[in-house]
Amino acid sequence: MPTPRHHLNRERRRQARADQSAPGPEGPVGLLTEPAPATRRRTAAKPVREDREQKEEGKAKEKEAAARARHRTPLLLVLCALTLLLGGFAGWAHGRAGELRDDPARANTALTDPARTSEIKGRTAEAVAALFSYDHTDAAAFDRAAKTFLTGKAVEQHRTLFAGVLAQAAEQKSVITTTVTDSAVERIDGDRARVLVYADQSSVSTAGTARKKDRDQGAYAGAMLAVDIVLRDGSWLVEGIDTFGR
Amino acid sequence: MSGRREHPMTRAVRPRAGARPVLAAALGLTLVAGGFAAWTGQAWYAAAHDDSAAYAAERDRALAAGEQAVQNLNTLDHRQTDRGLDLWESSTTGELHRQLVDGREEFEGQVKAAKTVTTARVLAGAVTELDDRAGRARLLVALRVTVTTPDRKSTDKDSRMLGELTRTDGQWKLSGLGQAPVGGTATG
Repeated sequence: MPTPRHHLNRERRRQARADQSAPGPEGPVGLLTEPAPATRRRTAAKPVREDREQKEEGKAKEKEAAARARHRTPLLLVLCALTLLLGGFAGWAHGRAGELRDDPARANTALTDPARTSEIKGRTAEAVAALFSYDHTDAAAFDRAAKTFLTGKAVEQHRTLFAGVLAQAAEQKSVITTTVTDSAVERIDGDRARVLVYADQSSVSTAGTARKKDRDQGAYAGAMLAVDIVLRDGSWLVEGIDTFGR
Repeated sequence: MSGRREHPMTRAVRPRAGARPVLAAALGLTLVAGGFAAWTGQAWYAAAHDDSAAYAAERDRALAAGEQAVQNLNTLDHRQTDRGLDLWESSTTGELHRQLVDGREEFEGQVKAAKTVTTARVLAGAVTELDDRAGRARLLVALRVTVTTPDRKSTDKDSRMLGELTRTDGQWKLSGLGQAPVGGTATG
């Protein structure tokens, strides 16, 4: 019997047309996804199944994506927070380390650098002995010492200190000998240092018989001074002489 | 309707393409920050636990205590001998402390009779030896001592002090004090 089938087809076509003009909730097609009129017009059952599959697939994907998004958002936040935290700590630790390194106690390497400390003490003793000794028989040695060990304002300080002494020493044919008895490094700051020096100074005059007694006895004096030294071209030079206002 | 339906699909796809690089970048930044944190943290730790820094700090503590103690022992006012001599005793330890306690009365009498006021100023000071563990140190202190007699005359005298320090209960105190000897060594 063709009629029911024909009727059915007509009905379907009408339904499809009605769907197209006004997609309503009444038809099962309208409820489902993707208006694919061509497909739908041919068969109703197939698109329904496809749509269902698609819907289910979509829902699954949506769920998955949502789950992933839910998972991802905190992860991103955690990473950001972690970055800030670590960055903050890095900045703070850097500051603290710098502060500690810049501590004046640490900047001063006197004693903490034993090799340099003893090198400085030795060099200072040598310089002070040469600079504060005078032998009338070898006056040139005195100038040589000044040239060898002095730099900067110490040249002038040394000259001032010895201005009166030299004339007298030459006249009295004196021999002044200075020996460092104790020294301690107050401070080493890179290529600069300050050394506290205790020295013994003996002065012997060899002029004339009138001063025989002086010559025999000699005169001793204890001196104390602080010496600023600086490293220039691999050797330490005296840059300042502090006699503490004496 | 169809637009709304499409949305979840694009949302599902777009983050996959867009968030991966963002996430990767965030992870990269975190790792870089972690690297910096480790580096600076290590530098900080090293700086905080530096042996030579601790030694330098101890050297400065010993010097400060030593200079103060040497100054204390060269300061005495005949009008306040009790206070002055108490300070002497609290600045010292060991043999020096014992000597000061033993000779206290006699010395107090001498100062009261002489009516002198002695003050001292540290010109310079430096540590020559420091045994951090044993708690012993030696130092040089260049001192200017001013003695004022009852007739208000004052005289300055420079002293080349050699001090010996001992650490007791975490505090550096003088256990020996003397003047650097003059002469005898420079005979040549």
